[in-house]
Amino acid sequence: MKIVLAYFYPELLNLYGDNGNVEILSQRSFLRNIEVELLRISPDTRVDSMLMAHVNLVFMGGGPDSSQKSMYEDLLKNKGPYLKDYIEGEGTGLFICGSYQLLGHYYKAADGTILNGAGIFDLYTEHFGERKPRCIGNTVAELSSDILGDQIFKNVNKLGDTLVGFENHGGRTYLGAELRPLAKVLTGYGNNAEDNTEGAVFKNSYGTYFHGPLLARNPHFADYLIAKALKISGEELKALDDTLIHSAHTASKKLKQ
Amino acid sequence: MFYVVLYLAKLTNFLIRIFKKGAGFTWPGHLALKLYPSLFQNTRIHFPRGIIYVSGTNGKTTTTKLITHICENNSVKVLHNKSGANLLNGIASTILLDRNIFGKALADLAVFEVDEFTLPHLIKKIPPTVLILLNLSRDQLDRYGEIDVILERWERILAELDPRTVLILDATQKKFDVLSKAFKGKIFYFNDNLDNVRHTKLLGDFNAKNVNAAVTAAGVLGIGPEKAAESLEGFDAAYGRGEIIEYSEKMYHLFLAKNPTSFNNNMDLLTSGETFPDTILFILNDDPRDGRDVSWIYDISREKLFEACRNKEIFVSGSRCLDMAVRLEYAGIPVKKDNISLSLAKLVKKISGTPHVKSVAALPNYSAMLELREVLLGRQIL
Repeated sequence: MKIVLAYFYPELLNLYGDNGNVEILSQRSFLRNIEVELLRISPDTRVDSMLMAHVNLVFMGGGPDSSQKSMYEDLLKNKGPYLKDYIEGEGTGLFICGSYQLLGHYYKAADGTILNGAGIFDLYTEHFGERKPRCIGNTVAELSSDILGDQIFKNVNKLGDTLVGFENHGGRTYLGAELRPLAKVLTGYGNNAEDNTEGAVFKNSYGTYFHGPLLARNPHFADYLIAKALKISGEELKALDDTLIHSAHTASKKLKQ
Repeated sequence: MFYVVLYLAKLTNFLIRIFKKGAGFTWPGHLALKLYPSLFQNTRIHFPRGIIYVSGTNGKTTTTKLITHICENNSVKVLHNKSGANLLNGIASTILLDRNIFGKALADLAVFEVDEFTLPHLIKKIPPTVLILLNLSRDQLDRYGEIDVILERWERILAELDPRTVLILDATQKKFDVLSKAFKGKIFYFNDNLDNVRHTKLLGDFNAKNVNAAVTAAGVLGIGPEKAAESLEGFDAAYGRGEIIEYSEKMYHLFLAKNPTSFNNNMDLLTSGETFPDTILFILNDDPRDGRDVSWIYDISREKLFEACRNKEIFVSGSRCLDMAVRLEYAGIPVKKDNISLSLAKLVKKISGTPHVKSVAALPNYSAMLELREVLLGRQIL
């Protein structure tokens, strides 16, 4: 078993310890003798369908505005189409914060400027500037029934139904009618602080605002991604001693927003 | 009004001292600003040799202490915010409390470390005569936002700053180029040359820059480089920055580790052979002063963490001790369950009862450092 993990824009999009997600996926695989080949994809890296055919897990984080500016055109022009094929072809991926927004139709800035997205996820994001507060704080959300009901998740889940994390975003994201949320917000703002949704699920790819990094305190979701990437049922994944991590997850549920 | 505020601030401070509320140091300033928002515009607030601001993500406290040390050894009486209270209220408190009953400044010169986010705001309230900008790296994203945002704010304030102000910048910070361009006045640069730092007891290469920044500032005040270097002889670390405290026969070396850069610097120090602890105590809090988002612990280099912790006994405390322990676990550093505790006092007691521990490198973030000093020294936070 081998995971070929494509980490998009590691130098530019690694805000809030996002690179920790890659470290955690690698470590949890390593402890089970699953080989991980890490492909670090920068704006200069050539991406095509040949390369993407080898990849079975994609990760992309969020970044400061200046970094997002320097990868934005490359994503839309050069990498977006292949990423779209990958995701629509059932590829497994995790997209946090800025990259989650970029996969949508567009991002409307506070001054009304519209930035087109990669158009892979049926969603859009709007920044209301001073009119609405930034969404910052600790978060707890209940995973959607699609995931909780998925046998693969049931096989790897030794923890519970929740995701915990920390969110910090100015933009508010609205899902299209057909796009399912990743989770239901219990504490925090989530996608837009209005409809209680958090993140999105499209085929085998997931977008979310949660960092912390996301996978640090959510080992069940990390293992879910590993199982999905390997196209296995999850039963084959050796259970790890996650006692400490589970305590951290439980303690996080009691943190103030 | 000036006097009303001054006396009120003095009274508040007196009451805080009586009730020993260490963290209440910022209250007089807070109260004064509430009552008298234009306080800093009052010329009676000024100092004869001017005001120096030191800002940047890391090294503010040490550099402030260095400048103070050099100046005092050269007969310049200095006022500085030694409490590490580097937000507007803390600085307001410091300025207000160091005055005689006529409101006249007691010091010749004021040297303040200023929170990087507060800096533009503070400069608008009271412009400094010398401004030192040390560096910018990721810190407390939930409060400060991204580095670019701060850099942009700095750029804007420098463009408006009186060109008679002297600006002192780190020559090695590439991102400071925009600042050099924005400012119309005189700029002095410092680098990481090791000559000056050798006169001090400071550890780590990162301190070379802090020392050079201080020597440059002294030069601006008319204290030449030889004189400055001479007065640095034997200079010791600011509290919590390489400070050594003995407690129940264990030597605690305190290294403030409040963001990825300072953490990585300290990890380098622990592997450099300059210091030889057998134990590492991590303390991670998520107090609003520290930033409530602790995800930055994954920006610490995994390899550096692993190297520094190799063959050492590890203890973990703080309100987010579990998160820190998980981070260590993911870096391949197992932590014994009994060595993790929310209660720092309990953990220190446990360390005291562990015979093979002789020397502890403590890596606390900001509020954790105050807590640790309180545990080790009794109640004397400031």
